[in-house]
Amino acid sequence: MADVAASGMPSREFNPWPATILVSLLCLAVLFLAPTAGVLLSSIKTTREIAFGQLWEMPDKLFLGNFAEILNNPAVHRYFLNTFLVTVPATAASIALGLLGGYVFSKLPFRGSDILFLIIVSGMFFPPQVILIPLFRLFNAVGLIDTLWPIIFVHTALGIPICTLLMRNFFSAVPNALREAAILEGANEWQVLARVALPLSLPAVAVLATLQFTWIWNDFLWPLILTNSDNKRTIMVGIVNLKGQYSVAWGVQGALSLIASLPTLIVFLFFQRYFIKGMTMGAVKG
Amino acid sequence: MERSARFWRVVLLAAPVAVFSVLVIWPLFSSFYYSFTNWNGFSSDYDFVGFTNYSKVVTDKLFLNAALNTVVWMVAAILVPTLLGLGLALLIDSRVPGGTVFKSIFYLPICLSAVVVGQIWVWIYQPNWGLLNTVVSAVTGYKLSYAWLAKPDTALGAVIVAWSWQQTGLSMVIYLAGLTSISEDLLEVCEIEGASVWQRIRLVIIPLLTPATVVVIALSVINSLKGFDILYIMTGGGPFHSSDTLAMHMYNESFKKYLMGYGSAISVVLFLIALTIIRVYFRQLKRVDEIYG
Amino acid sequence: MAKLKLEKVTKNFGKVEVIKGVDLVAEHGEFVVFVGPSGCGKSTMLRLITGLESVTSGQILIDGQDLTHAKPSDRGVAMVFQSYALFPHLNVADNIGFGLRLAKLPKADIERRVAEVARILRVEELLDRKPRQLSGGQRQRVAIGRSIIRDPKVFLFDEPLSNLDAALRVIMRLEIARLHSRLGATMIYVTHDQTEAMTLANRIVVFNAGMIEQVGSPMQLYDRPANKFVAGFIGSPAMNFLTAMQDQPDGVGSLSVSGGTVAIGRSVNTPPSERITLGVRPEHVAIVSSEAADLIAKVEIVEELGAESLVYFQAAGSNQQVTMRTSSGVQPKPGDQVSLRFDRERIHLFGSDGRSLAK
Repeated sequence: MADVAASGMPSREFNPWPATILVSLLCLAVLFLAPTAGVLLSSIKTTREIAFGQLWEMPDKLFLGNFAEILNNPAVHRYFLNTFLVTVPATAASIALGLLGGYVFSKLPFRGSDILFLIIVSGMFFPPQVILIPLFRLFNAVGLIDTLWPIIFVHTALGIPICTLLMRNFFSAVPNALREAAILEGANEWQVLARVALPLSLPAVAVLATLQFTWIWNDFLWPLILTNSDNKRTIMVGIVNLKGQYSVAWGVQGALSLIASLPTLIVFLFFQRYFIKGMTMGAVKG
Repeated sequence: MERSARFWRVVLLAAPVAVFSVLVIWPLFSSFYYSFTNWNGFSSDYDFVGFTNYSKVVTDKLFLNAALNTVVWMVAAILVPTLLGLGLALLIDSRVPGGTVFKSIFYLPICLSAVVVGQIWVWIYQPNWGLLNTVVSAVTGYKLSYAWLAKPDTALGAVIVAWSWQQTGLSMVIYLAGLTSISEDLLEVCEIEGASVWQRIRLVIIPLLTPATVVVIALSVINSLKGFDILYIMTGGGPFHSSDTLAMHMYNESFKKYLMGYGSAISVVLFLIALTIIRVYFRQLKRVDEIYG
Repeated sequence: MAKLKLEKVTKNFGKVEVIKGVDLVAEHGEFVVFVGPSGCGKSTMLRLITGLESVTSGQILIDGQDLTHAKPSDRGVAMVFQSYALFPHLNVADNIGFGLRLAKLPKADIERRVAEVARILRVEELLDRKPRQLSGGQRQRVAIGRSIIRDPKVFLFDEPLSNLDAALRVIMRLEIARLHSRLGATMIYVTHDQTEAMTLANRIVVFNAGMIEQVGSPMQLYDRPANKFVAGFIGSPAMNFLTAMQDQPDGVGSLSVSGGTVAIGRSVNTPPSERITLGVRPEHVAIVSSEAADLIAKVEIVEELGAESLVYFQAAGSNQQVTMRTSSGVQPKPGDQVSLRFDRERIHLFGSDGRSLAK
């Protein structure tokens, strides 16, 4: 797009637009960064400093006691481990299922496949509360409540709509002739999927991996409902649990929030491109 | 060929369809079923109570209160991030220096969890040393220690602000994607025809962003309908149910009071609302597709 | 090398009949070209031979073996796709050897055969490149390489040159012709470009609306089209068609055409009342002195192509168009009134149903 600001102006005249835009963006950026900055600042300050209203002052010395407290707390280790144990398999499984479904919907359509696809994709739009109670009852009945399994299962299932949608859209962009060429060379559908379609779709897989990882890592509702005991909690529920323990230790809470967000922040920083692409891709072709 | 295609369809679709059916489709129908019972969450036996739960919905003051709050919440949670995101996208798209840095700053909150966002904002609203009161005190010179989240008047609004802070980045990137798809030619026409910056935005850019707007609004609707975590963290629906939404209310009735039958009825209502919105959305999407291809 | 036989092949997509009963034999080592307008079924026919689509009824035989329901990879056919269908993530060597790797051949064998094919097609120095790094002509060669490595009995080409620019198309056309003479394999080639069809084919099969209109050598089709469709489809610029009435019922053979009279000197074996069509190719039209004229026409446009010129006329007595191809230096100018004469030996006549009225 052309420069919105610089248009229609004679070239030599002073153009106030770029400066105005830059200043307003800077102000907004400060406003947007302030909350995150607050957590950062709190994490390196003592409870005393915060209680005395010094949270928003630049620190004169780095206080790392909050981080030490968190990193030495075995409960936090447990939360982290649990979250990884849920997030990694659920991310992988939902993408794998999305690959399978997406391939069929794009390369092997059949009568009624459009409707089936629509049903699956519409799963993306429903509030999770709708399936909360039956799933709670189901997992209770099979004795899986208060284990990590149901969280993995639920996130795998809830990831199917977005994964299927994205993979189908991506596979649709892979020319049919490639599949046919592979079949003429003796490949079966599984080999076409594994050797041709999948290698070509790695960007889409990367998009999904970042999206799913972030969502599952950050989820709060499902672990809250499906687990009770402290050693089965994931990190997001854990933060809330530890609130009681560190009720006025604001700095410790800040450090905890920061550490809990670290994996998704890293994913975000390194895969930002994929992340944003996924958000827009999943949305644009509903 | 046809036979082998049929074989592979079954093989490849079996797993995703089975998982999705058992863990999404079946529970969906089960919710309808439970909404006609008085199941309490533990006991193995329960009774059919017909439409009792649904007639309770209509008379439950707390439900009506939650429904009203949901409407307020949704309208605000749609409008604020959408408009803010559009504004930011237009500003960033004007090729200011550091555009990608700004983009990342505004987008960053999206990757934070609702729990963390909630916690951050609880602190901002903290009466004694929170950022908000600190800034207001510094500007006005009058020591303010207003408990934003503990007052029924401001609790819901305060959560909406936190929500908007997190969601704006999403609408911004979608609008930015929409802006890059606007053909350079059309903007050059504006230049030749002598349109002012404001005219260009209002008469050309915003109408051409319609597909992006449809997407943004749909996403906002969906996300806000799901908005539970942040309310749970920041207010828990309180004080005095002033920030109760349907999702919150459903949780309280089902998992605090163990009225699972009634909770199911609430979730069914929530589902029907979602369904209506989705249908409207798909219809709009089709219309927009026809115009904008 | 093999003999391909199609027997009463039909194909329906839902209720739509795309192939309406095709019988055809392609002999050992023959180069058969399918031509026809888009949507005529020629590409579908090719896909039926590969097995990528299954036939609705009929039989497909290669060397007498019924392969109608065999898996595509078991038919001994190879295909070069219009888009080349090279795997973008594999390098040239892996693209060429893809089928051999699926067949789990020993690595050394694969390498040896890939090297051999690469040598034949002169892509040896490209083996490590990805398709994206290749030019159009190189991609084409790699695609051909992938098809020949498995020694297929029948080669199928689906408009393989249509993605190339005009100059490259001529070069690749020659390469395919050379490949055919070198391998001596049976080849089926689909195109909508009649120059390709005329230059490459031993025999041309003209498809229209799911049926074969005519099968024959290029010159047979050109000189003796079986019907008006083939006559109009083969040859560029297209044959002139003029509606004609028989003047004399006694069969002496004089037609009134666009206000002129064409004495054809033979009888027309059709009832005098039938409206017939006179067809004559642009190169068989000439400007003559007025007494020899079949037709008076006005010059509309002259296109000079260098070696020859195309002149477009409007017949005086009607609004029918006539095109003339000429290499003579004397050019009429737009607006000129001229007398035209058709080469008597080269006039085609078609009945109202389009069939050729034989001489």
